[in-house]
Amino acid sequence: MKQIFHIFLKDACRYWRESAVSIALVTAFGWNEVRGWAHQNAFGSDSADFFTSKYLLGLVVVLLPVAWAFMVVRVIQGETLVGDRQFWVTRPYEWKKLLGAKLLYVLTFVNLPLVALQVYLLSKVGFHPATYAVGLFWMQVSIALYLLLPVAVLAVVTSTMVQVLLASLIIALYVGGMVALSTQVPSSSFSSSSDWLSGGLFVGTGLAIIVLQYARRDTMKSRWLMVGLAIVLFLFLVGTPYKTLVEHNFPQIGSGEAVPMQMALLPPEDPGGIGVFNKDGEAEVQLPMSVGGITPGDIIQVDGVLVEIRSPDGMRWDPGWTSPGLVLYPDQKATKATFTIKKDLFERIKALPVQIRISIAFTVFRERNRRDFIVPTGEFAMADAGLCSVESTFLPKIQCRAPVHGPTSLLLSTDMSMSTCPLEKGDVPASSGEIARAWTRNDDSAPPEPGISPMKDVDFYFSNANASSQQRRPGVCPASPLVLSNPEAVARNRIVLDADGVRLVEYQTKQMVITIDRSAVSR
Amino acid sequence: MSKAIRTENLVKRFRKVEALAGLDMVVPEGAIYAFAGPNGAGKTTAIKILMNIAGATQGRAEVLGLDSMRLAGRNFASIGYVSENQELPEWMRVDAFLAYLRPFYPTWDRALENDLVKQFDLPLNRKLKNLSRGMRMKAALAGALAFHPKLVVLDEPFTGLDPLVRDELIQGLLERAEESTIFISSHDLAEVESFASHVGYLERGKLSFSEELTSLVDRFREVELTFDAPPTLPAQLPETWMQLNTSAAVVRFVESRFDAEKTSSAVRSVFGSVRSTLFVPMSLRSIFLAMAKAGTALRTGAGTKRADL
Repeated sequence: MKQIFHIFLKDACRYWRESAVSIALVTAFGWNEVRGWAHQNAFGSDSADFFTSKYLLGLVVVLLPVAWAFMVVRVIQGETLVGDRQFWVTRPYEWKKLLGAKLLYVLTFVNLPLVALQVYLLSKVGFHPATYAVGLFWMQVSIALYLLLPVAVLAVVTSTMVQVLLASLIIALYVGGMVALSTQVPSSSFSSSSDWLSGGLFVGTGLAIIVLQYARRDTMKSRWLMVGLAIVLFLFLVGTPYKTLVEHNFPQIGSGEAVPMQMALLPPEDPGGIGVFNKDGEAEVQLPMSVGGITPGDIIQVDGVLVEIRSPDGMRWDPGWTSPGLVLYPDQKATKATFTIKKDLFERIKALPVQIRISIAFTVFRERNRRDFIVPTGEFAMADAGLCSVESTFLPKIQCRAPVHGPTSLLLSTDMSMSTCPLEKGDVPASSGEIARAWTRNDDSAPPEPGISPMKDVDFYFSNANASSQQRRPGVCPASPLVLSNPEAVARNRIVLDADGVRLVEYQTKQMVITIDRSAVSR
Repeated sequence: MSKAIRTENLVKRFRKVEALAGLDMVVPEGAIYAFAGPNGAGKTTAIKILMNIAGATQGRAEVLGLDSMRLAGRNFASIGYVSENQELPEWMRVDAFLAYLRPFYPTWDRALENDLVKQFDLPLNRKLKNLSRGMRMKAALAGALAFHPKLVVLDEPFTGLDPLVRDELIQGLLERAEESTIFISSHDLAEVESFASHVGYLERGKLSFSEELTSLVDRFREVELTFDAPPTLPAQLPETWMQLNTSAAVVRFVESRFDAEKTSSAVRSVFGSVRSTLFVPMSLRSIFLAMAKAGTALRTGAGTKRADL
């Protein structure tokens, strides 16, 4: 332990500038965050100052991780592990103590100020920090895994900052390549089953490289481990049987089993206009679908949609699973399945009567713990969501600041006919039973969201799935009655819809064309 | 006598280049061992393996009775290592450098540290990066001697130093020679001749010989034979004769197993009568030069068979 403190003190003396900058940025972040809340609460009073504050916060949010990364690299490279000329390798340094000293430095100058800031911010809002100790701990872990671990891995296999930057560039190119590749691999964006495995492999390999470097200083082996990891992640991306995983995770409902929802393809709408292609030269096709049969109290989250097309000439098109981000409620009557198709293929088959098979993977959520809630005036506490207030001047919403973690699953429902918001000119009063909802959820198994601030902004935007786009967005005002509930996942299933004789051209997204009479303009 | 350093068939290859080609070496405890050899002979590579800075491709090395591959952490509390290539924490002042090293060594001797600082005339308040090469080497040496190491390993410590600084360093070393084994590599033979007790000569990754300096100097002589008329050289010469050359009635060679009676007898049996015989003691440098030339001649096939050393 003595050696750990001895090395730590040496580093603290040597890198006091880096530590000071990092602590200053943490302080600036805290100051700006509190200032931002004040402006948020009094929005509109001084919008110029508000935007300055936002700009500063954005700058600090970028600079702080950079300062941490720079400091970690400098501290680790203070006793560089690469090369054979370092004076310390032939001194009585014990590798575990050297590693311990570096860890202590990071804990002292990254985690400790961050925890202090988070405790201060929680207290400032009015939350008792001790209640959120576990969450704060996980926030530190997430900072360590998302930021400090990759930086430390780079630092232990390089000897200079230039080498770190070069390695970062190579990694950025690799990541860019993987992201580009993932868009080409069917279904890869849908299934996250292999993400946990990749994440675990990344963390495991990163820790192994750090330990290997400190224990053996075997840089060549460590660098090969990094290359190996890159290759394995690549193989995961291209080799994961995404479709099989989806089919396994979302079993198809068998005949005779109760179906949590009914869906059917609707005839094409004809809003007029001409079909458009996006900038990638793809046609966007929207399949309107009727929705029904959802049990009151259930919510269907559509996790994935797979559209397969078979043309009369035998051509089969299957772009893989996509994540539509759709949520269906019991009173919902219709929705749309949207997909894009390459222009040349679309042009070839658009007028042909094709067979379409739509597979829908979904999760059934059931409302639990329903309770009534009357929206108070001003700032109010709402269970699971933290401190909230009604924002009605711009986009009607309830905005909340949740401590450490946003609500796991919180559904806010309101009967729009009982809204206390004053009707504006042109507003049509809602009929009784027209429900607007706002639902926010985080993956149950996910640790607290990574970030610097312990306060998570959660906004509840209310929408009514059956409202037309011309209708004003429903809002809530003080005294509006709400029903709060915590929907829980109860089942995961898959249904398959088949439709014959579909002409894609009829379902292509249309755009209105406005023709300008030039002669009229000139007059 | 127990051994401070022992290597057995130590081999180090860098791809196709063989830096060490089966090094067998023994350094007795208490010796001042000069590890000599030309540039590129593999001295630094051997030392890096001894200090576990680099791994061997084959063979093994022991340092203070421990496998060099296991040398780590607290084992270095009894080893002082200084290299010309070593990167010191240059941002530190000399006093901070010594103060930083202190807690690492249970046997650190503050009085000795002060003595070394005085002896080397170290400017305590200056940063290492602002010191001259000689001063930096002195600071490194002070940090490597102040804890009474059992073994001091120095890799080309005198390279590029002026004679005065070199003498100061040597003086500093000699004053601690009684308590330590000193292993010092150098390509400059003159600088180690004055104080080494043992010498090993590394050439092309192999030790040509390794022995006590006095016995080495004793067994080498430059022999000058003067004849009445130019002699006829026989086809077969004794294997211990090196660099034989003739000039009119004078024959010169280096005897590598000198014994006055035996060498005189060998001369008589080869040449018969000789007008005069002169045995000239050789400096270490001359001995190495003779051996190096003999080695080169042997490799190029231009000379006679190399002497059995």
